[in-house]
Amino acid sequence: MNDNNKTGATLVVGGGIGGIQAALDLADSGFKVYLLEKGPSIGGVMAQLDKTFPTNDCSMCILAPKLVSVARHPNITIITDGEIEQLAGEAGDFVVTVRKGPRYVDEEKCTGCGLCMQNCPVHQKGYGESPPEDLHLTPLEVEQIEAILQEYRDKKGALMPVLQALNNTYNYFPGELLKYMARELKIPLSLIYNVATFYKAFSLKKRGKHVIRVCQGTACHVRGAKRVLEEFERVLGIEAGNNTDDLFFTLETVNCVGACALAPVIMIGSEYFGHMTPRKVDAVIDKYYKEGKVHAS
Amino acid sequence: MQANSVQDDTRNKPTMMKEKMYCISICGGTGCHAYKCEKVSEAFVEEIKRRKAEADIEVKTTGCHGFCERGPIVVVYPDHIFYQRVKPEDAPAVVDSILNGKKVIERLLYVDPNTQERVITVDDVSFYKKQRRLILGNNGKVDPTKIEDYLGVEGYKALKSVLLSKTPKEVVDQIKKSGLRGRGGAGFLTGQKWEICRRAGGTTKYVVCNADEGDPGAYMDRSVLEGNPHSVLEGMTIGAYAIGAHEGIVYVRTEYPLAIKNLGIAIEQAKQAHFLGRDILGSGFDFSVRICQGAGAFVCGEETALIASIEGERSPEPRIRPPYPAESGLWGKPTNINNVETWASVPLIVNKGAEWYAAIGTEKSKGTKIFSLVGKVNNTGLVEVPMGITLREIIYDIGGGIPNNKEFKAVQTGGPSGGCVPANLLDLPVDYESLTEAGSMMGSGGMVVMDEDTCMVDVAKYFLAFLKDESCGKCTSCREGLEQMYDIVERITKGNGKEDDIVLLQNLGRVVQAASMCGFGQTAANPVLSTIRYFHDEYKAHIEEKRCPALVCKDLISYTIDPELCGGCTVCAKACPCGAIIGEPKKVHKIDQKKCIKCGICITSCPPKFKAVKIASPMIR
Repeated sequence: MNDNNKTGATLVVGGGIGGIQAALDLADSGFKVYLLEKGPSIGGVMAQLDKTFPTNDCSMCILAPKLVSVARHPNITIITDGEIEQLAGEAGDFVVTVRKGPRYVDEEKCTGCGLCMQNCPVHQKGYGESPPEDLHLTPLEVEQIEAILQEYRDKKGALMPVLQALNNTYNYFPGELLKYMARELKIPLSLIYNVATFYKAFSLKKRGKHVIRVCQGTACHVRGAKRVLEEFERVLGIEAGNNTDDLFFTLETVNCVGACALAPVIMIGSEYFGHMTPRKVDAVIDKYYKEGKVHAS
Repeated sequence: MQANSVQDDTRNKPTMMKEKMYCISICGGTGCHAYKCEKVSEAFVEEIKRRKAEADIEVKTTGCHGFCERGPIVVVYPDHIFYQRVKPEDAPAVVDSILNGKKVIERLLYVDPNTQERVITVDDVSFYKKQRRLILGNNGKVDPTKIEDYLGVEGYKALKSVLLSKTPKEVVDQIKKSGLRGRGGAGFLTGQKWEICRRAGGTTKYVVCNADEGDPGAYMDRSVLEGNPHSVLEGMTIGAYAIGAHEGIVYVRTEYPLAIKNLGIAIEQAKQAHFLGRDILGSGFDFSVRICQGAGAFVCGEETALIASIEGERSPEPRIRPPYPAESGLWGKPTNINNVETWASVPLIVNKGAEWYAAIGTEKSKGTKIFSLVGKVNNTGLVEVPMGITLREIIYDIGGGIPNNKEFKAVQTGGPSGGCVPANLLDLPVDYESLTEAGSMMGSGGMVVMDEDTCMVDVAKYFLAFLKDESCGKCTSCREGLEQMYDIVERITKGNGKEDDIVLLQNLGRVVQAASMCGFGQTAANPVLSTIRYFHDEYKAHIEEKRCPALVCKDLISYTIDPELCGGCTVCAKACPCGAIIGEPKKVHKIDQKKCIKCGICITSCPPKFKAVKIASPMIR
């Protein structure tokens, strides 16, 4: 590579594990490498295997780091969806003509998020377009969601703020409302689902009147937060992430509430309870049940 | 009575007081909130009203004072008298002491655990002595909901000087010269980042403040945003001027409602006072800031994921870099992302000069860093120290050592991306390079102290559980690798570990490091690899002897009652939630191992005079 008179470029044909390894070895010894692959992506058969013979090693564990280094190597250019059309010249001085298939996607800009695949209407039509669904919403619900949507119609990046506002009103996402939202904002329901299930603060399941959040931060963990959580689970008879039958409590864990000096700490609604121990759990729950009864009567 | 040590002038200047003679500053941080500080505050206001002393005494609810362990904290200025664990019923006595000749209320003073002496002023509290509170210092002096308070501590002075007398290039050069590095974790040079963004083409650029403080065990960003939001806004405005951006976004975790509230108030006030908006201070420079809320996803702290989350059009998965956000970020425009603490450092550097800032710290790590010192340590809270201070100084001198005379075992730094630093490295200087070399990292500044009762394998399991849960799932190595590593560590803690599990973990860890795209995956193996590196014996004890030396892993321990010590008081039998303790009054009790769920309630309920409940490992079958 240092000698400017020779390019020293090499072409590796086939982007399977063999081609990838060859490309890496060549590139590491200083050659410019073109890695040519017929298919739309490199990786070959090995990427489809679970285990490799004869060692029974996990195939992806071997392959994945190599895939990444090939993609990142400054000396390697990957040409996918390409085939050799013509080979001319002689050893040491070849000229290769490659025909590259169209991708219809700007590879420079694509982040590989996969959303285009999920939301392609042609793909969806393959199963027949479903007729518009009848949504069963009460006038109050329509009023509430309209109040939220009003501000965001035809705006860029509306999804998150709308979901957040919806979450503030309902504490969870009623399915019918999401469908209504999809129709009104012209956002595919699959995409809403994709975002709504990604974040911890959102839930598709109804939540109880009081949400108990047991902090599982590191500071709380070393001071015994696990035991506190287990005691809550035992006393309420539910596992974290569920509601009590009377929908009075929802038990959740949270990664850190940022009150580490009080560890182990829990939150019920917006109230903090610091220095928790398994022994205090009963008293805290009782307090809420008693207050709940007072309000009810 | 005078405050005696004058380390930094920001620390001792009672700028908060105007015409009034005394000021009672009550900590309103989240820690003190949990201790019901608002009741304390009300009691003071009430008492002062009752005694008609409003003209002499001012009550201020401020941001976090840092010493959360002893909250609610009350400081009386101008004498800097430090009261701790103050209750509403203490208010009359304190007010009385102020009005009638300065007698200090002895019982509310802090008692130094090492010398057993009562300490009167803030500066004499061992927790504060070695700190250098450049950023946090003003937290205890300003009411975060009042812009006048911030102006009183030289607030927006830096912005004025920048807008009226400096070119953007000069600002970037100054930050570069100060050696400030990103406080979010990776430690990239802030000035250099600004430079790249400043040079990037296009007229639309963005500055973003990353306040998605997801590291469990770290809460300094929360404290700065809650206690001094204007300092962050000022830093962002200066940064925006330097790189040529006109729109700023603060991305805050939804778990921090008070921070969101206070920041919102601050933005409104700054707009009113022409520190934000169009034609700021008549300089012709426009800049606006808005808040964007997260929704509880750890990976959103990664900058490309954070951008995706702000755009809000898909699930926020990181993307491959380059292009870096400084060239192509939010909506494809050049975007400069810095963390809260970094932004808050900017006005300080502008005010005091790059040389002054660069003189603090070590050769490569400049300035101060805030750590949240938590876990098994006497003085938990937020500490701000110059870079290069040793771990021993932080944990023993500031933190006051380990509670109950237990032995120090390790300190976990850098959150889930960091590692555990063992006792023999206590004299390690705290800076970016040293920590990375020790297999950990600076991270956002969480410092979780662990004592002999902490099981390192359990800690590794804890972090893996966190990480596998938070992995966005885009890279196979991270998604599947962490899941597999968790399974292996879990079986070790259950006593089913195999001989070559440690090697397998190390190999898997390296694959996850090498084959993941973003910083999350690349560092995700650190907690496991560092605990294996320093606590190999503990892993071996779990695997070979089926024993948990720290007596933590449930499947490897049994609770027993020592017949020699048991006084037959029946307290434990009554407390046991599953009726596993058999025994009559005045007779030795016994635990039925078949019924025991190992909740540990018996050990905490056994009266100290007996201390009869013991833990045995390996398990009694």
